[in-house]
Amino acid sequence: MSNQNQVQLMAHLVAGYPNLAISLSVADALVQGGASFLEIQLAFSDPSADGPAIQTACASTLAKGFTTKKGFEFIAEVNQRHPNIPLFLMTYASLAYAPGIESFIKKAKEVGVKGVIIPDLPFDQDEGLIAACQKNGIAYIPVAAPSMTPERLHKMTQAKFTYIYAALRAGITGSKTTIDDQTLRFLDAVASGGAKVLGGFGVRTGEQTKSLSNHVYAVVAGSVFINEITAHYNPQNEVESKIKIASAIEAKAKEIIGG
Amino acid sequence: MSDNGFFGSFGGKYVAEVLRRPLDELEDAFNRATIDAAFLEELRLLQRDFIGRPTPLYFAENATKALGGAQIFIKMEGLAHTGAHKINNALGQALLAKTMGKTRIIAETGAGQHGLATAAACAKLGMPCEVFMGEVDIRRQQPNVAAMEMYGAKVIAVKSGSKTLKDAINEAMRDWAAQFDTTHYVIGSALGPAPFPDMVRFFQSVIGKEVQEQSKERKLDVAALCACVGGGSNAIGFFSPFIEKKEPRLIGAEAGGIGPGPNENAVRMSGSAAKDGIVHGYKSRFLLDEDGQVAETRSISAGLDYPGIGPQLASLGLSGRIEFRAITDEKALEALQFFARQEGILFAMESAHAGAVAMQMAKEIPANKAIIINMSGRGDKDIFITSPVFRPVEWELFLQSELDRLHQGVDIHYAKALPSAQKNEGNR
Repeated sequence: MSNQNQVQLMAHLVAGYPNLAISLSVADALVQGGASFLEIQLAFSDPSADGPAIQTACASTLAKGFTTKKGFEFIAEVNQRHPNIPLFLMTYASLAYAPGIESFIKKAKEVGVKGVIIPDLPFDQDEGLIAACQKNGIAYIPVAAPSMTPERLHKMTQAKFTYIYAALRAGITGSKTTIDDQTLRFLDAVASGGAKVLGGFGVRTGEQTKSLSNHVYAVVAGSVFINEITAHYNPQNEVESKIKIASAIEAKAKEIIGG
Repeated sequence: MSDNGFFGSFGGKYVAEVLRRPLDELEDAFNRATIDAAFLEELRLLQRDFIGRPTPLYFAENATKALGGAQIFIKMEGLAHTGAHKINNALGQALLAKTMGKTRIIAETGAGQHGLATAAACAKLGMPCEVFMGEVDIRRQQPNVAAMEMYGAKVIAVKSGSKTLKDAINEAMRDWAAQFDTTHYVIGSALGPAPFPDMVRFFQSVIGKEVQEQSKERKLDVAALCACVGGGSNAIGFFSPFIEKKEPRLIGAEAGGIGPGPNENAVRMSGSAAKDGIVHGYKSRFLLDEDGQVAETRSISAGLDYPGIGPQLASLGLSGRIEFRAITDEKALEALQFFARQEGILFAMESAHAGAVAMQMAKEIPANKAIIINMSGRGDKDIFITSPVFRPVEWELFLQSELDRLHQGVDIHYAKALPSAQKNEGNR
């Protein structure tokens, strides 16, 4: 666990949003702002576990011609710039299944991915993802939800995963999350098998981070950054957009960490 | 029934953990309901009195003569309340939700037929209903939006993603994940994560059971059943009692759209474009690009314009029990006109694809045997789609004059007469 005042941040970004050049500077700004991990999402046409902000960002990215190949190139570039920041890849089953899960994970390994989060390949219907990850030395990161039955959560926490992503509420990413005793009890249950807990869904403020700090290994924030990008992006002025977005993202990351 | 949610290698529950518990609870409740005599009796009475079952099995004598082969029969699902088979499932699921103690119903809709059926079922059962519909679909399917609102449902415009059916599904899933303790999500087709494919088939199997009885009563020697297949709820319900038998032939009509090229159709089974994929919580055959992104589809019929297919149908397609054929927009329009003129029966655009398959097959099958078409819906709803094709000039004049009248606030009795369209060739 991290110390009282400084919690680690796992910052989420969509590769290629609002375009490849700016998303690279978003990655830089997140690291500059103090992120300890980056969760890089490869856009999928039907991201059913994401909120409207990320869904719309993914649709826009795909409309601009995003491909898995470009996504992997993006990750390789981020990895080269920030070799000390572990990169986790987030996407959906379809993108891993289409090329074959083995070959997808092998490719992920090559570009420097340290863990994968694929919410619609749950730990007991994973299509061989867990085995492929083990073979390549990548962490399979399951997503726990507060609505899970205690039996199912127990099964997950006892399965010896290095990390578990804990969704802080029953909904989907990006809307309002209140952190109460129940949330903290859930986080502690997720951690009970020894996994490092990445807590996210609706984290927007330093206040939330502070109340989570003793219960998670890192907080995850995503939609809040996407919203900053969307608000500051002006396609008519790429240069100015890039500067504005980078400074907004860095400031937001610092605010969430509480630094 | 599926084997633990799977039909061969297809099906499953490929969902984020947030949805796992609602699905597991639903599966339990559904399994109990299928053996609960009180539930089944309440459903039977509602099917009889509210939906209007059984729907007729109609001998299309004129069509039979004109085609010159097998006897053509039409299962008249379009006579079911709200105009299509969709009500069988919507009512069944809404009733199940009520017995589970849910107090709110949500649904997704593309063209609006499933939303309409769900709205009507909820009005009948006294449950509040919210229907998620893509902003683009709302724009092109206004008549159904108006009807849903008439039944008291709230239609929610989905503005994320591509703003169509698949985004409406995502939005409904999202709502359900956050509120499943009070809410049931009525999926409209035989797809999605388990238990939906089993459940939707169960409620739609009333079609096939009636067909089985009706053809036995009339001593029909049935050679083939034809149904259109989008997600496939009417087809799987219609075929259901015959799946384990060797006869009759089961034929699914897919949307051939405007041609065989990419993004021109919604052909998942009869062509070579589709591949195995995992989308919307289930594994099946999907139209995907090489990265696994869901491809755009195209069909004149909104109900067949979907990139995936129910997992059980996909499995039965691969095993050879169901044959699939692609029917183009043009062939479907021909079938629509043929049955309207021959029989005085107006098919929905979706169902006209099944009619077109029967027209192709009639001559190959001898006159002492029968082909049964499932007319899954009636065509009244398609007036905004068929009118611009069959009578473009009159239609434009009508819309223009209605708009003028609305702007001027004139009662229809005092409105000026429609300017007469030139009634000659060029209208067709």
